[in-house]
Amino acid sequence: MANESPPNDRLRGVWQNQPSEGMLISVDEIRRRAGKFQRKIYWRNTREYVAGLVVVVFFGFEFWRTSDALARVAFALMIAGMLYLLWQLHRRGSARSLPAEMGLASGVEFYRRELERQRDLVQSVWSWYLGPLIPGLVVLTVASAHANPGHLRHSGLFLALFDFFAALVFVFIWRLNRRAARMLQSRIDELNALEGQR
Amino acid sequence: MPAQPPTQDEFYREAAETYHAALERLARAYEADEEVRRDLLQDIHIALWRSFEGFDGRCSLRTWVYRVAHNTAVSHVILQRRNKSQTLVGLEELESVPDLREGERAADRRHALERLWELVQSLKPLDRQVILSYLEGLDAASIGEITGISPGNVATKIHRIKNILARRFQEGGRYGE
Repeated sequence: MANESPPNDRLRGVWQNQPSEGMLISVDEIRRRAGKFQRKIYWRNTREYVAGLVVVVFFGFEFWRTSDALARVAFALMIAGMLYLLWQLHRRGSARSLPAEMGLASGVEFYRRELERQRDLVQSVWSWYLGPLIPGLVVLTVASAHANPGHLRHSGLFLALFDFFAALVFVFIWRLNRRAARMLQSRIDELNALEGQR
Repeated sequence: MPAQPPTQDEFYREAAETYHAALERLARAYEADEEVRRDLLQDIHIALWRSFEGFDGRCSLRTWVYRVAHNTAVSHVILQRRNKSQTLVGLEELESVPDLREGERAADRRHALERLWELVQSLKPLDRQVILSYLEGLDAASIGEITGISPGNVATKIHRIKNILARRFQEGGRYGE
């Protein structure tokens, strides 16, 4: 660059002449490592789906085992909630950036996209992660209290307390996510400002 | 007979041979831990090879390589920030806050390099891209193409970088020897 000050020139020299490990990876080795990396992602996703399906099978078994109508409704709702959650995980997982996009997107574009993805994730966590399981949990709680009439005197109070604390936890999580979404949005706005003046 | 366009493997081979040292420096700037850094560098090489499947020459090879490398590293930074709390600063904050070691001269190259790493690793992702590109000797236009930052903002950031470097690495230090 023109009018460069000598100290900065020397610093760039120091930077560019750092000792290097000389790590040159051959194309064959890259293919091998890329394949290993893909398999690692595949198995990680598979484990998540299998864990989810195990839960679905468990609730399916409980649905078949019980003759209590309310409990059956609860288990059916839990199964539907879990399947919806698994579908959302799959859908959101496939929305990640493709390799060619890494080169097509400038630094600002890529970073903004990642922040927007995170922001949308935390903003919508209720609708796709926590929300689907709530109907089943509520009905299950009622079904379980209903199934134990001998404890009915205490079950009402227990239910109320349980629901109160559960609601507190959910509100806390909601507020945390809202705060995270606001912070992410302000970083997105900073990036937009960097592009803004052309 | 028209020449065949280079294949994905050929693009990668050329990029790796030309830029392998720069990619190592970039990985070091984004990750201080040596073992994690090796994984990051591998991730960058894999991302680069995979990306060349979609490279159509709309930008220079250099721009493409630096974009893929920086974007891969930014994904890494985002993940690391989720796992451990890490406060990163912008260039404007660094410029306004005095360095406690400003009076200290960089005794030698090694010392200067360590302070440069510290400085770069403390920066927010976009500012890190700009300073790294500056240290690699790229001009403002190339920095704008890689980062997507407007020319005015690139010029402002480079000005800040020069001020920060001039303050923190005083003339007379022996690091240039």
